[in-house]
Amino acid sequence: MLKINNLSATVDDGNKTILEALSLEVPAGEVHAIMGPNGAGKSTLSYVLTGRDGYDVTSGDVTLDGDDLLEMDPEERAAKGMFLSFQYPLEIPGVPTMTFLKTALNAQRRARGEEEMAAPEFLKKARALAKELKMKPEMLKRPLNVGFSGGEKKRMEIFQMMMLEPRFILMDETDSGLDVDALRIVADGVNKLRSPDRGMLIITHYQRLLDYIVPDRVHVLSGGKIAASGDADFAKKLEAEGYDAYAA
Amino acid sequence: MTHMPLKLENLPTRRDEAWKWTDVRGRVSETSAGLSVAGLPKFTLPDGITVSEVETDDLDTDSAMAKLARNFGGKVWAVSVPEGFSSDTPLIIEGLNRGHIRIRIDIAKGASLSVIEHHAGDAGGFVNVDMTVTLKAEAKFDRTIVHNDPADCVRIATAHITAWNDAAVTQHALSFGGALSRIETRLAGMGKHIEATLNGAYLLDDKRHCDMTSYIDLAVPDCTIRQAVKGVVTDKSRGVFQGKFHVRRPAQHTDAEMRHDALMLSDTSEIRSKPELEIYADDVACAHGNTIGQLDESALFYMRQRGIPLAEARALLTEAFVADVFDDLDDEDLRESLLGKIREWLKEG
Repeated sequence: MLKINNLSATVDDGNKTILEALSLEVPAGEVHAIMGPNGAGKSTLSYVLTGRDGYDVTSGDVTLDGDDLLEMDPEERAAKGMFLSFQYPLEIPGVPTMTFLKTALNAQRRARGEEEMAAPEFLKKARALAKELKMKPEMLKRPLNVGFSGGEKKRMEIFQMMMLEPRFILMDETDSGLDVDALRIVADGVNKLRSPDRGMLIITHYQRLLDYIVPDRVHVLSGGKIAASGDADFAKKLEAEGYDAYAA
Repeated sequence: MTHMPLKLENLPTRRDEAWKWTDVRGRVSETSAGLSVAGLPKFTLPDGITVSEVETDDLDTDSAMAKLARNFGGKVWAVSVPEGFSSDTPLIIEGLNRGHIRIRIDIAKGASLSVIEHHAGDAGGFVNVDMTVTLKAEAKFDRTIVHNDPADCVRIATAHITAWNDAAVTQHALSFGGALSRIETRLAGMGKHIEATLNGAYLLDDKRHCDMTSYIDLAVPDCTIRQAVKGVVTDKSRGVFQGKFHVRRPAQHTDAEMRHDALMLSDTSEIRSKPELEIYADDVACAHGNTIGQLDESALFYMRQRGIPLAEARALLTEAFVADVFDDLDDEDLRESLLGKIREWLKEG
């Protein structure tokens, strides 16, 4: 499904290399986790995969279902099914959450040549999901993320993810800012989205989240590349022993 | 009344301090349509209101544009609103497309009037609208201005508003500019406890120019003034904001706020801003704020990551930026129609 091959990337107009010949494959139906020390390039990887300005790919390629992602604009990647749950979700003043999401959903559908979702169907789905995620209905009317707590913003990311039903999910430090109850609700939501034709890559500094969303594979990102890989138990070992053994 | 043609040197130039960013002389030529003639406005009146033509040489101000309106505008179009009047139907003023136009609106005690002005000029036109509004005690005046001129039309629209005790003025101006345009509002507070909201937005592209100038002169206590103007400029357009609160010594307990916030969507566009507070009373709360910025790149990326194309993301953020100056418009249909015009403008951009 997602294939990253020999990916190198720089920031600061090429002055700083963050990813160095990173290769990784996440087959459909699997959940992989990327762990690693601060500064290893975890967030850079999520931005490179989603096409943020300021991150320059110097070599390698990335495909999603065989299509070259690196050639696409961020919105084209989103329409292709790439979703990033942000470490720090942005506040969008003046744009109500529902307006934002409906615009996003229908823009993606248009880009894929699908019919737009009608307002009643959209509302019904949104209300049901908000209830499931134990979100207050007023949150959907307020400008997106404005005045939300850190935990509310993270829950809103999961809400958007469940509304958009992406093909591939990238989660960047989704557990930060969540208390245990909220973490369980979020994890339940994510686990519901696990399916044979969807892949997920969970980027996390701590192993805690992986107790709730159990990965098929765990990788250590260090020095801009995958330094080691293992199964779900490997995450526990990393948490106990630290990342020193994999330092670049 | 016949007059010699307008002498161009009588027009304000950039050498006049109040006109330094809006050089009327520099943009008007002998061939501008309507330069030396009276315009012919069209009034759609609510039941109970009359308009008559009044011959007068009275001059309420000594401003250059008011003098020109007196010299070339002919009779005054006088609208009279009787005591206690109120109506759900607004007074609509159109036909402000060329020439000098003098309008006087007198709102009697306790009366309430809504006015919608459509400022849309002729190609190559020159328009000078000089309006005088008087609000007697407890009168109410809701003014909405929609302005969109051809790219070669010059327009100066000035309102001199005088308000007595407990009067309330609300103004919402939406401008898409013209070759050169200025919407100037002058409010004189003559009786205590006046409330005024003076909001506006300008959205400019190409080489358009819009100037929103205001002068609030308070000589009485207990007045509340709220002013919020938002600007969006792109291409080589130019937005001008000049706001002044003049709080004289007797104007104690004045509560006044002035904000101007502008978005520059291109490197070649221009914003000129001069917020001014001149305060002689010692027990007042007056504040002003002025910002110029760009769209937030992180927010744009976030929106694109969700699948919203760049142009649409910019339009959504820009609309959200501008729209809140119209939040307090009571007439929801009117607000929706203003927002619709903004959306249309954003779509074309």
